[in-house]
Amino acid sequence: MEKSFSGKPSGSARSLALTAALAATLAGFPAAAQADWQRSYVIEWNEPAMYFGGDSGIEGPGSDCPQGVNPELDWVEVLVKAGYTREEAEWLRNPANPTRSPVHGQNQMAFRGKDRTNIYTNPESYPDPGLHPMTGSIAEGLNLDGNSDTGFVSPTGEAGIDNTFYQTLGCWKTYRGPERLSSGAMQFNDGMRNGSWTMVIVVSGEGDDPHNDDNVMVGFYMSQDNMVKGGDGSISPDYTYRIEPHAKYEGLFPARTLDGVIESREPVTAMLRDPGYTRDLELLEAQIKLKMKEDGSLRGYVGGYRPWRAVYDGWVNARGPVIESLTWVELPAVYYALKRSADYHPDGGQGQNTHISFALRVDALPAFVVTPDASEIATRIVSYKDQAPPLPESNGPSIGRSRIVGGIVIDPNAEQQAGPDAVILPPR
Amino acid sequence: MTKTINRRSLLRGMIGGATVSMGLPLLNLFLNENGNAYANGASIPTRFGTYFWGLGLTDTPAGGTRWVPGKTGFDYDITPELQAIAAFKNKVSVFSGFRAIPDTSPNLVHWSGHASILSGVAPGSSGRFEAPTLDTRVADAIGGTTRYKVLDIDASISRRPISYSTRTGTTFASPDQSPLALYQRLFGDGFQDPNSDNWAPDPTIMLRQSVLSAVTDQRQALMRSVGHEDQIKLEQYFTSLREMENQLAVQLQRPEPRDACVLPQSPEELARAGSVDVVNNNTRVMARLLAMGLACDQSRVFNFVHTGGTSETYVPGQSKIYHQITHDEPTDAQLGYQPETSKLAGLVMEGFGAFLEEMDAIKEADGTLLDNCLVFALSDTGYAKIHSLENIPMMLAGGASGRHKTGQHIHAPGESVTRVSLTAMQLAGAPVGEFGSGSMRTARPVTDVIA
Amino acid sequence: MKIASISGLAAPLAFCLLASTPFSAPSLAADANNTAAEQSNNTLVVATRRLNEAQYRQSIADIFGDDILINARFEPERRERGLLALGNATLSLTAAGFEQFFNLSQDISAQALDAERRDAIMPCVPAANSSFDATCATRFISQYGELLFRRPLTQAELGARLATAATGTEQSGDFHTGLQLALASLLTAPEFLFRMERAEPDPEHVGQWRLDAHTRASRLSFLFWNSAPDAALLAAARNGELFTEQGLQTQVQRLSTSPRVEDGITAFLLDMMQIDGFDSMIKDASIYPKFNQLVADSARQQMVKTLVDLLVVRERDYREIFTSNDTFLNRPLAAVYQVPYTSTEEWAPYTFPDSAERSGIFSQVGFLSQYAHPGTSSPTLRGIKLHEIFLCEHTPEPPADVDFSAVRDSDAATSRERLLDHMSNPGCIVCHQRSDPPGLALEHFDGLGQMRKYENGQLIDVSADLFGNQFVGAQGLGRFLYHDPRASSCLVRNVYTYGTAQMPAGSQRAYINEQIAQFTENGHRLPTLFRQIASSPEFFHVVLPEGTQQDANQLAESVTAQ
Repeated sequence: MEKSFSGKPSGSARSLALTAALAATLAGFPAAAQADWQRSYVIEWNEPAMYFGGDSGIEGPGSDCPQGVNPELDWVEVLVKAGYTREEAEWLRNPANPTRSPVHGQNQMAFRGKDRTNIYTNPESYPDPGLHPMTGSIAEGLNLDGNSDTGFVSPTGEAGIDNTFYQTLGCWKTYRGPERLSSGAMQFNDGMRNGSWTMVIVVSGEGDDPHNDDNVMVGFYMSQDNMVKGGDGSISPDYTYRIEPHAKYEGLFPARTLDGVIESREPVTAMLRDPGYTRDLELLEAQIKLKMKEDGSLRGYVGGYRPWRAVYDGWVNARGPVIESLTWVELPAVYYALKRSADYHPDGGQGQNTHISFALRVDALPAFVVTPDASEIATRIVSYKDQAPPLPESNGPSIGRSRIVGGIVIDPNAEQQAGPDAVILPPR
Repeated sequence: MTKTINRRSLLRGMIGGATVSMGLPLLNLFLNENGNAYANGASIPTRFGTYFWGLGLTDTPAGGTRWVPGKTGFDYDITPELQAIAAFKNKVSVFSGFRAIPDTSPNLVHWSGHASILSGVAPGSSGRFEAPTLDTRVADAIGGTTRYKVLDIDASISRRPISYSTRTGTTFASPDQSPLALYQRLFGDGFQDPNSDNWAPDPTIMLRQSVLSAVTDQRQALMRSVGHEDQIKLEQYFTSLREMENQLAVQLQRPEPRDACVLPQSPEELARAGSVDVVNNNTRVMARLLAMGLACDQSRVFNFVHTGGTSETYVPGQSKIYHQITHDEPTDAQLGYQPETSKLAGLVMEGFGAFLEEMDAIKEADGTLLDNCLVFALSDTGYAKIHSLENIPMMLAGGASGRHKTGQHIHAPGESVTRVSLTAMQLAGAPVGEFGSGSMRTARPVTDVIA
Repeated sequence: MKIASISGLAAPLAFCLLASTPFSAPSLAADANNTAAEQSNNTLVVATRRLNEAQYRQSIADIFGDDILINARFEPERRERGLLALGNATLSLTAAGFEQFFNLSQDISAQALDAERRDAIMPCVPAANSSFDATCATRFISQYGELLFRRPLTQAELGARLATAATGTEQSGDFHTGLQLALASLLTAPEFLFRMERAEPDPEHVGQWRLDAHTRASRLSFLFWNSAPDAALLAAARNGELFTEQGLQTQVQRLSTSPRVEDGITAFLLDMMQIDGFDSMIKDASIYPKFNQLVADSARQQMVKTLVDLLVVRERDYREIFTSNDTFLNRPLAAVYQVPYTSTEEWAPYTFPDSAERSGIFSQVGFLSQYAHPGTSSPTLRGIKLHEIFLCEHTPEPPADVDFSAVRDSDAATSRERLLDHMSNPGCIVCHQRSDPPGLALEHFDGLGQMRKYENGQLIDVSADLFGNQFVGAQGLGRFLYHDPRASSCLVRNVYTYGTAQMPAGSQRAYINEQIAQFTENGHRLPTLFRQIASSPEFFHVVLPEGTQQDANQLAESVTAQ
C-alpha cells in the first residue's frame, strides 16, 4: 500500500536538499544548542494496528477471525428481547417513519436496559451480548512489558507483542481489514487528510550517523497547517508545518536508532490525537518503534496502555444508535469486552484494570517542521505545552451543533422525547 | 466580398429606418445546423438545469468502480450503475475521476463535494456556501426574460426542503416539494401562455437596441478617417454589432407558436414516503411538469433535487436507509464491492433516467426539449462509504442547442470538479471565463465536449 | 469646467429630443452627425489597438470604482513578435466577443448607476427622476464619455447618446435608466473598446503629421498605469500641454512617480516575459504529483513578485534578473523547491543559497514548468524561449518534413543524449545548435522545475557551448546573459514596441541605439528607461497606415491651405 509514495523524489535527492535547506534556514539565526541531525515528518496515515488474517476481501473470515466479523443484528429482535412489543419494535425500525426523529426510532434504541434504562450510560443494565473474539496468534505492535513470553508474535516473527486492544476488538467490523481498508481507518484518515487535524514528528539526534545514534529524541506535535494533496490525490511531501503548542496532544520519546530504526530508550506517558471517536489517545508506558525508510518516509508503531473506558465513551458519544447500526454491534458488548480484557493498571496489580495495551501504526512523509513562530526549523525536542492556549471549555460531546446526551441527540423542541416512558406507537 | 455588400446595404437600412418593425432577412449563421431554429433567438432558447442526487455512485476500497465506463470518448460502455441512462447514452456525457480539493477547508461530509462543484469554493462550515452557485450565474445570463428566473424543485420527499442554490451562501432557495405545488407555480395564477393572442414585444429589447443604434450612428464618421487595415478591423466590429442587432430584432418578432406547450392536468397529491420507488415516481411526475413548464417558457433555468446529500431513501420493505447502507455494508469478498449499495445506486439512477425520459418526450422543432437543454447532474460524494471527495460522479445531459458534443466519457483523475462546472456554465451560455478558488480555480473547460 | 462649452451647445438639441417620438430619435442624432463631421475630417486614425482584459478591467475600476463586478469571458489575445501589445493591435472583435462586451456594458452601467452608487458618480442632480433633464444628461455623458473614449466626445457622439438617454427615459419613465442606456452605448462603442490612435496635421511642420494630444495622453497612461488617462492627464491633453517639452515632462514625472506605475511596469513585464498560460498548464500527475493549480498560480505570482521587487521596488540593474538569487515563496512553492517555509505570512522574501542553483528568473518553477512537456523537461523549448524572451531572437518553426522518430525512439537516459540523436540531421542542427545549449544548462530542473541531479540514474551534465561561449548550469547561463549586450537591446526595443505597438523602423536605428546607450548609462534601470522613452519625441512617432499616405498628404495640404 505504498501508492502515495509513487513519483516522489529519491531518498538521496531529498536528503541533499534538506541539508542545503537547513544550512540556508539556520544561517541567519543564533545557534541554540543544536542537534547534529534532524528529520521531520507529517503523519499521512495512522490507524490502530489491527493485524488482518483474512485471505481476501475486508471483513471475511481468516486466521484471526474464523467466523468473520460480528454479523449484522436483527434490531427488531434485539428490541423485542429488550422488552418492546413486536409491533413497537417494527414501528421503531421502519424507515418510512421519521427515523431521525428524536421521538421515535433511533433515540429509543438507547432505552433497552433493565426498566428501559439507557444502556449507553448504564451498559451493565443490559446482559453482555458478546463479541466474536480474535483467536489468532499474530499481532502487530510493540513488546510493552519487555516480556517475550506474553503476548503475540509479530508478522515478522518477533515474540512478546502486547496488543490486547486488537485481541478484544479485532473482529469488530469497524476495525477489521487490510491496511488502510478498514472502514474506521478510512473514515478517520480521510478526515485527517482533508484537514481535520495534522500531527507531525520531529526526530533529532546528537551523533554523526543518524542511522546508529544512542541519543535521539522524538517529538509528536500538532500542527495547524493542513496536509496538501497533489495532482494524483496523494499527500505531497516537503510541505512546511508549524508546531502548534497544544495543551493536550504531545508526545516526547527518548530513543536511539539502530540501523535506521528508531526505538524508545525508556517508556513515557504521551497523549496523541486519536484517529477515532475518542480523540484523546492517552498512552501510559508509551514506546515507539519507527523505521526511517530508504524513500525518506517513516513507518512503525507507537504503543502503550490506553484507558479503555474512554474508548467506549468515544463510541457512545458518536451517537450510540448510529454506531450500533453502522458497525453491527451492541455497544454494551464493547463495554464488557474491554472491561474484561483490560490488562494494565497504573498502580500495579490492584483491582479492576483501567488500561488496555494498544498500538497505533503510523506512516509519515518527509516534511519540514518549524517552531510555532515559524522562524526556524524545529530541532530541539521540547515540550510546547506551556505555550499552548488553554483548552476550550468542554460543553460535553456534540455532533456538529447538536449536543449528545447519554449517547443520543436530544431535540429540546420536540413534543415528545425518547425515554423510558416514551409512548412508542402513534395514537390510532 | 458579396457578403460585405450585403452587410452594408443592411446597415444603411438600419440607420435610415425605424428599428422595431423592420423585417430583416436572416443570415445563415443565426440558424443552427438544422436550419430550423434560431441559435440564440426567441423561438427555441437553451435551457439549463442542475440535477442532484445523494450519495454518489459506488467505488470499491481497492480502487475499482461500479460506474466509471472502461472506455473514454464517444460510445462509452454502459456500466451497471449507468444502466438507467443507457437509452440516452448518446445524449449524456459522463465525467469521472474529477475531485473536490478543499485546500485548507475541512471535508464536511455530504457537503464539501457539491459545494465545491456548485460554488467553486470548499466551505468552512456545513450549511453554507462561500460563493454563489453556478445556476445563478447562468440565470443572470439566460433567465432574465421569463416569468421565473430559476425554478427550484425538490422531489426527495424529505422532512425539510432541500436546495443547493444560493446567491448569498447562507440563504438557499425554497423549492417546490410536491407536484401540486409545482403545478400551481407553473400553471396556476399568473401563467403566461406563450401562444396567447396578447403577445407584445418586450420593451426592454427596444431599449437595448437604442444602445446599439447610438454606436452605429457614428460608423460613417469613424470609417472616413481610418486606414485600410483598421477599416477591415472595424468592419468586423460592425459586423459583430450587426449580428447583435439581428438577435435583438428577432426577439422583437412574435415568436413561433410553441406547439409543445399544452396545459397539463393538475396532478393528484402523491403519498409522501421516502422509499426509492416513490421518490422516483415523484421525480417523474415533477420532471414532466417541469418539462412542460420549460416548453411553455415559464422559466429557462432550474435546479432539481432527487435526493439530498444524506439521502434517506430506502428500498421498500427494507429496514435500512441508503445512507446507512453505504457506510455499514461490507465489501463482498467475491464481488469486490458493496452489493446492496450498488443496487441502490442503480435504483437512484433510475430517477435520473425517468427525468431524462420526460425531458426527451417533448418535441421541439426537429429535436426534443432535451436537445435544447443542458442538464448538469451531480452528487455530493465519490465513494460514499468514506465520504470521498475523489471521483465524484457528474454528467452533462442534453445538447445545449447543439453546443454540447454529447455522448462522451471524460476521465480525468485528479482534476478539479470545477472544470466540469465551468464547462457547464459556458455551454449554457454564461459569460464565465474562470471559476473556483485555490486549487479549484480553473480557466480550463473540458473542451472535448464543446462543439 | 470642461463640460461647460459642450453643454451650451447640446441644450437646444436635447430640447428637440424631448418633443420627438422615441423611435425617430436616431434620425435626429444623424442630423447632429453633420455638424460634428468636420472634427474627424482633419484627423486620421493611424492605429486601432484592442483593449486587453487587464486594461478593460483597470479602466472600469478607475472610472467607476473597483467594486464594479465584471463577469465575462474575454476573447483570446494574440502574441506577435513576442508581444501581445503587437498582436492586440491586429485584433478585432468576433460576434461572440461583441456580445460579451455588449452584455457587460449594460451590466456595468446598471451597477454604476444603481441607487447606492449613483450619488457618488453623478455630476449633477436631475430636476426630476422621472423625466429627462437635458442639462444633467449632457454633463453626465460628456464627463464619462471623455473618460471612456479618452478624449472629449464630438457633438455627434454626444447627440447620439443624448437621444438614447431621452428615449430611454421616456420609455422607462426613469431618468437614470435613460442614462444607463447612454452609458452602455459608450461602453459598447469601438472608441472605448479600441484605443484609436489619431494623428493630425502638424502645424509646425507643414505636410507632416503628429499624434494628437489625446493619443499622446493615452500612450503615456497605458504605458505607466496600464489604464485610461485620468482627469489631470486629459486636462493636459485638452490644454495642449502635452505638445510642450515642459508639459510632457510634468506628466511623465507625475505618472512615473505615482504608486500606480507598478501596474504599468508589471503589465509590460507580463507581456514581455510571457507570464501567461498558467491557467491551462497541464502536468502528468503520476510524474509530478506535487503539481496542482495552486502551484501553477503560485509560480506565476512568484515570477511577478520577483521581477517587480527587483526592477520596480528596488530599481536594481535590469540584468540582475539573470543572476539574482532573491525571490519570494509561499508554502506550496517552498514544498516544490524543497525548502522550509519559515514565515507566518502568505508570502515571504527568500534568498536561495548558491548551492540551490536558483539564480535568474529562468531558474524559477514558473519559467521551467511553462517551457517543458507534461511529463519531461524540454531543453529545446526552454532554449527557444530564452532566446525569444530575453534576446528578441526568434526561432523558426521546424520544417514540415522533419523526422522526429530518432528523438522519440531514443532510449538514451538523459535529454542531452536524446537531443544528440538528432543533431546528425543537418535540417535540425541549424536551429538546435542555438536553441538547445541554454536549455541543456537548465537540465538540473525537471519538467515541473524541481531540482534533480540524475536522470534515469545517470548524472546530468549541465555544461553548454553556444557558438563558442561556454557556461555551466543556471548560474553560468545567467552570467552569460548578464554580459550579453543583446539582452539590454532587446529590453529597450520591447519597451518601445510595447508602448507604441510599432516595431522600431530601420530609420529609427540611431534612436534605439541612443536609448540603449542612455539605459546603460543610467545603470540599466527599468523605471528610468520607461521615463526616458516616454519623454522622447520618437515615442509619439506617427506611422501612417498603408494605403492612406496619398490621401493623407492631400488631406493635410487641403487642411493647411485653409
